[in-house]
Amino acid sequence: MMTAEGLSALEALNELRLTPDEKMETLSIFRRMESYEAALQEIPTDNVEVMVHVMPLANVLRDDVQAQPFTRESLLEGAPEHTEDSWQVPRLVK
Amino acid sequence: MGQFVTEIRPGGAIAVDDTIQVKGYETKAGSRILEGFQPLFGAEAVERLEKAGYEIAGKTAVGEFGLDLLGEFSHSGATLGASGGLRGAAAELAAAGTVKGALCADLNGAPRRAAALSGVGFVKPTYGTVSRYGLIPCACSGEQIGVMAKSAGDMRGLLEAVAGHDPKDGTSLPTESYDYADGKAVSEMRVGVVKELTDAASDGARAKVQAQADALRGLGVAVGEVSLPLADAARTAWNILLCAETCNNLSRYDGVKFGYRSPDYRNIDELYVNSRTEGFNFLTKAVILYGSDVLSKGRYFACYDKALKVRRLVWEQSKALFENYDALLCPACGKTEYQPYDIKEAFGAVFAESFYTAIPNLTGFPSVVCGGVQLIGDALQDGRLLNLAEALEGGAAK
Repeated sequence: MMTAEGLSALEALNELRLTPDEKMETLSIFRRMESYEAALQEIPTDNVEVMVHVMPLANVLRDDVQAQPFTRESLLEGAPEHTEDSWQVPRLVK
Repeated sequence: MGQFVTEIRPGGAIAVDDTIQVKGYETKAGSRILEGFQPLFGAEAVERLEKAGYEIAGKTAVGEFGLDLLGEFSHSGATLGASGGLRGAAAELAAAGTVKGALCADLNGAPRRAAALSGVGFVKPTYGTVSRYGLIPCACSGEQIGVMAKSAGDMRGLLEAVAGHDPKDGTSLPTESYDYADGKAVSEMRVGVVKELTDAASDGARAKVQAQADALRGLGVAVGEVSLPLADAARTAWNILLCAETCNNLSRYDGVKFGYRSPDYRNIDELYVNSRTEGFNFLTKAVILYGSDVLSKGRYFACYDKALKVRRLVWEQSKALFENYDALLCPACGKTEYQPYDIKEAFGAVFAESFYTAIPNLTGFPSVVCGGVQLIGDALQDGRLLNLAEALEGGAAK
């Protein structure tokens, strides 16, 4: 069963922060989902293969040819902050 | 009439929902986290429409990443009908005749629900037949770009324009193009009304199914009742997979490379956390957190792996029905009206409603909404479903 501590760990892992009210509501969501998961456990699947792709698909890889679909400038344009040639973030090393 | 991301140019052109990239249009998938995002390329489906001569009319609002019921928690605002009930923005435009049709992404049934409520049609095609290149990804294994339009004929025409192999999409099937004309006469078809899905719906939604079942009988279709005992398990399995895949896909939004960055940070950790916390709404956060949990070491096999096995069982159970039936008939949504509600109830509300829509997302089978109900068919039988829809609307029945 999900605990407040477990939920805090998930928040940290996912770079999110919930308000106290949101934490309560999220714990309640987890509790409700646990009852549905329990129902799923009752379905026998011992000899059932997982179904990752719903259609017959294999990994599709493009030819190993160097390409540059986008320019550095165009990629930087969408960034909230950037220098002439890089995304800009706060200083990482003091 | 509703909330639209851009001004819609009327005149019979095509609207595109905000989870699908259109070059030259801001694309934010209904979310603050993508505020200001200008895509570097357009979705393949959009480019194919343009090549076929269709004009893009503008973009319509969706719920954040298409995760909610009807776009009610879009960063652009909810769309309400005249009664004050929730509606889908693209569906309202199509119903009003402002646009000829719309491209909409279906990852948990929102456009099917919207089409049913606004009285228009929507086809969620067989998985892999329409390129997902340029769709803002969430639940990659089951989401699909579909076509919304007032008539089955328009749905067929638009779907033929966008469907076909795309080498840029690793999940695209190899068939180069699709012809959605189906040779089987409607009067020779068999349709099964899914008992579990129909019995659970409200009186109004059930009445719509009964009315369409009667109409099909009037067209000479053999209509019977069928059972899909795994319908409830399909909902749980799809929501587990959807949350897990969404958790992974939304990890790219960090306030650095594109979209929203919180103005309030002192270091890189605060930049990440504050940008994501302010950028996502509560429903998306709950989806991410639950998805992260089902992928965790102690829960992976009990939840995620189990859901992938149940997906196969649901696929097999549905496939067995398609040996005897051309289509399954069921509600597209459980109610005939939805009122605005608090976002804290959203996860439960969407989970409840996905009972009616999860099977096509989980299995990849096509689904067509028409006359307020849903028809589900075997893989690559989209044309047969469109024939049934056309017959129901009194068009050129075959």
